[in-house]
Amino acid sequence: MRTNPRPPKHNLRLLHSLATRFSGRSLADRVDAILPQTQCRQCGYEGCRPYAEAVARGEADINRCPPGGETGIRRIARLMGREPIPLDPDCGQTKPKQTAWIDENACIGCTLCIQACPVDAIHGAAKQMHTVISIECTGCELCLPPCPVDCIHMQPAAETSAGLAGLLGKFRRRKSAKLFQERHQKRLQRLQAKRRQKSGRPKLDPHPSQNRAGDDPRKAAIQAAIERTRAKKSSLSGKPRA
Amino acid sequence: MALVEAFRNRWLSKSKFQVEVAYARPDRQLILRCRADTSMRLKDVIESSGILRIFPEIDISTARVGVYGHLRSIEDRVSEGDRIQIYRPLQIDPKESRRRRAAARKKSS
Repeated sequence: MRTNPRPPKHNLRLLHSLATRFSGRSLADRVDAILPQTQCRQCGYEGCRPYAEAVARGEADINRCPPGGETGIRRIARLMGREPIPLDPDCGQTKPKQTAWIDENACIGCTLCIQACPVDAIHGAAKQMHTVISIECTGCELCLPPCPVDCIHMQPAAETSAGLAGLLGKFRRRKSAKLFQERHQKRLQRLQAKRRQKSGRPKLDPHPSQNRAGDDPRKAAIQAAIERTRAKKSSLSGKPRA
Repeated sequence: MALVEAFRNRWLSKSKFQVEVAYARPDRQLILRCRADTSMRLKDVIESSGILRIFPEIDISTARVGVYGHLRSIEDRVSEGDRIQIYRPLQIDPKESRRRRAAARKKSS
């Protein structure tokens, strides 16, 4: 049975709650279905799914998704049985949807944006022209900072929110959110398979849901290694030369 | 039922899997889904996808191709889940661009 993630109205509410309760979807699934799947990490998590899981566990507040905006917060609030609260300004501002485009006269084919894109929306390879596939672009802006020549720009995506066009837009947004989700999952799986191939042993957590930027054990390990090398270097340079 | 069986044999047989073929211009980008098997080379998949008819400017003999951002030979075999991308050349020379940027930085500092 398919359930509508939209908040139910009036007497449909009971039906909706029963439907979601017996559809076999977890709370995290239902939060994830509300999130716009931009994978933009403005919430501080590695993607929409980890944030949805954190919300479902009660670890994260419900107001950390700028692309979801007021509507998204209201829907999560209703799902969680809470009062809606305003968006956390630390996470950013709600903006109309944008997509990236690449200035072809400046792109040097460095692939950094391709590595940053969470949904494989950038078409290109080393020293080949990079092009944003606009319907695949979530507008997350994660490709902007790595670009060494600043050739990626954001442009507003054509969208209307009134009347029939608005209704169609809603449908289209849900559809593209599904696409983004699928693409992101595929990418994670692919990168994980590649890592496994490289290291020769399986990595445990396919989707590091708890990994907030600060307390990632792998990042801590890297940091420790850097500190060790630094200490070694300084002790070497401190020695008198022969 | 015969139809269902035919569908199974044609599309869901074990040896066949789904791949994507993609081409992108600033004004139009396309990702085609098509089915392939391990005996096919990237070239075969591109030809069978029909993308060459949609974008007649693609010259399969000179275009560089790759899978998910990594250049590959057109004679390589496909594997499951690949997105075969057909690339376009850069508009500018990266080395020249770098030289120009370095000069600009020198001037400004």
